[in-house]
Amino acid sequence: MWLMSKIKQVLLVLKPGVVTLKYPFEPRPAPKDFRGAPAWDHTKCVGCGGCADHCPARTIMVRDICQDIRVLLYDGSRCMYCGRCADVCPEDAIAMTEQFELATNDREDITQNLELFMLTCRRCGRCYDMEITNLIDRLDLKGFRYDSLQARTVLRRTSEQFEPRILRDTESFKRPQKLGE
Amino acid sequence: MDIVYVFVNVAVFLLFAPLFQGVTRKITAKIQSRQGPPLLQPYFDLIKLLGKERMNSARNWAFSLAPLGAFAAVLTVAAMIPLGGKANFLTQRTDVISLIYMLVLGGVCVLLGALASRNTFALIGASREMATMIMIEPILAMTLILGAVKSGGLKLSSAMAPLGSAGYGIAAVLMLAVYLLALQAFVGRQPFDIAEAEVEILEGPFIEYSGAFYGLFKYAMMMKQMFYAFLFVSVFMPLPATGFGPADILIQLLGILVVFVLIAIIGATNPRFRIDQAVKFYAGLIAAALVAAVLAVKGF
Amino acid sequence: MLAKLSKKFFPKSLWVYHCNSGACNGCDIEILNVLTPYYDVERFGIRLVGSPRHADVMLLSGSVTRPTLPLVRRAHAAIPAPKIVFGIGSCAVGGGCWFDTYNVTGGGAQAVPVDFYVPGCPPRPEAIIYGVALALGLVDKKAAPVELKQVEFPIDAYERSKAWEDRNVIYQLLKD
Repeated sequence: MWLMSKIKQVLLVLKPGVVTLKYPFEPRPAPKDFRGAPAWDHTKCVGCGGCADHCPARTIMVRDICQDIRVLLYDGSRCMYCGRCADVCPEDAIAMTEQFELATNDREDITQNLELFMLTCRRCGRCYDMEITNLIDRLDLKGFRYDSLQARTVLRRTSEQFEPRILRDTESFKRPQKLGE
Repeated sequence: MDIVYVFVNVAVFLLFAPLFQGVTRKITAKIQSRQGPPLLQPYFDLIKLLGKERMNSARNWAFSLAPLGAFAAVLTVAAMIPLGGKANFLTQRTDVISLIYMLVLGGVCVLLGALASRNTFALIGASREMATMIMIEPILAMTLILGAVKSGGLKLSSAMAPLGSAGYGIAAVLMLAVYLLALQAFVGRQPFDIAEAEVEILEGPFIEYSGAFYGLFKYAMMMKQMFYAFLFVSVFMPLPATGFGPADILIQLLGILVVFVLIAIIGATNPRFRIDQAVKFYAGLIAAALVAAVLAVKGF
Repeated sequence: MLAKLSKKFFPKSLWVYHCNSGACNGCDIEILNVLTPYYDVERFGIRLVGSPRHADVMLLSGSVTRPTLPLVRRAHAAIPAPKIVFGIGSCAVGGGCWFDTYNVTGGGAQAVPVDFYVPGCPPRPEAIIYGVALALGLVDKKAAPVELKQVEFPIDAYERSKAWEDRNVIYQLLKD
């Protein structure tokens, strides 16, 4: 009784045979509307910085390095492939490709770097400035050091070990008082 | 000349045990509808394990000696048995009792290693392995006692091949059924792989073992599985004896292959029992084995 | 001698230990998918083991949070040499979108030396198998840094270092 059910089980299981995909040896395309790595088109990008503002992982940096040249650096190490940059781009310069085979042993391999030639104002001769100077908006722009393209360090607000300095900062933090209190 | 056969035994066991394990893994994979590892995969596993860094994480001598003890016990068993019907130098000087002793020694070395690991999961695994061993060794003893009774003495060469001359009786058929039901427990696979290699307690008794020590344990386990399959073939399957040494060994290896295919199929289609369910099952099997032994003594 | 032989057979039998250091379990599910019959990774000899002491490869998923940082380091130290560490998912590669929050140390590289990165959120099982095949040497790397320029100027205001120049870069210029 039990034996018959086990024999039936073996015969049932042998019906589909071997279903393993021969993946690395045969290509396997991504499904429709798959969001793979984003790709910039340097013919269409105008350097507005909308993608950098909307990226949740703050992995896109847009920076003027000199008068006429604006650099857009996409550091793919934190990218979540959400597609917000492609969604918000006014010129449709970003496409979410179907590329998902991004494995690498060096994080420099998944970066994309764009250099854009900007027009200058005819009156003052300067480009439109992306530099944000008020502190509230600067707080949002954590994530890249501004002075060096190669040294893409991340500003950290945490520490591995217990840091008395951070404790002092948190303990002496005063919440903003309301007027009249 | 007989001494050479001791080394032939050891060499056959060392060479073929990983191959049978590979067959088991391949068949398990095919039943699970996937491609599975190549047949020689356990050889690669063993070679890689034997060359890794050796960490004595429990820092006591029992931890390092236990795998050596288990491996040595199983190698002694491999040297003692009459492979291919040939009674070699050691077979003529040992008997059934020392065979049982060696097997239990191998199990005790596993327990020793697990208890020396200073790890709670290893302790749980060791207690389950202990419960399994206590209930399973009597069935092995009953099988060998049946062979001894049927052949009239404790000599190993005749006790392990009794049915060619004596023929099948009720006792032998009953014992065959009991051995088949207990085969999965001897070999340590589903539904009875409660002690080792289970995902519930993170691989049980061997959790702290790494590298070369783990490789030795794995090798000992593989050879023990091959021994139990060999015991079945030798006691219960009277194969034609050609009298030519290598051909006899080959025929027995083919029989062992058939047993391993059976083990793999049963192992892949069954879930795992809990330890209390398994102990109840073994108790029933011990009762049946006792009945078979008594029947053999009475002459059936 | 045994160590050299073992090194030769090392790529043929990799035993994997999966360590989740605070992930959302998306990458863990994809890792589990890789072990199912459809994508079967056991045909390369890879097996999932439960204890880091039995493993050769550590699959790290999740951005390493502060409570798990010493634990990930202990698990890494428990793996006997030689060992490889894979960072699966964008959290392990660089911290994901939580790289600078209060409880996160910022990715696998902060805790253990990571050898291979598999980006994705979560990476497809094919992407994980691609990473494994890359580590085994069966395929070539497909990701390369991309540099796109509209005009090229010989300006020393952004003088690049030699290492930056010599990388394997896909280089395109606007043609007009």
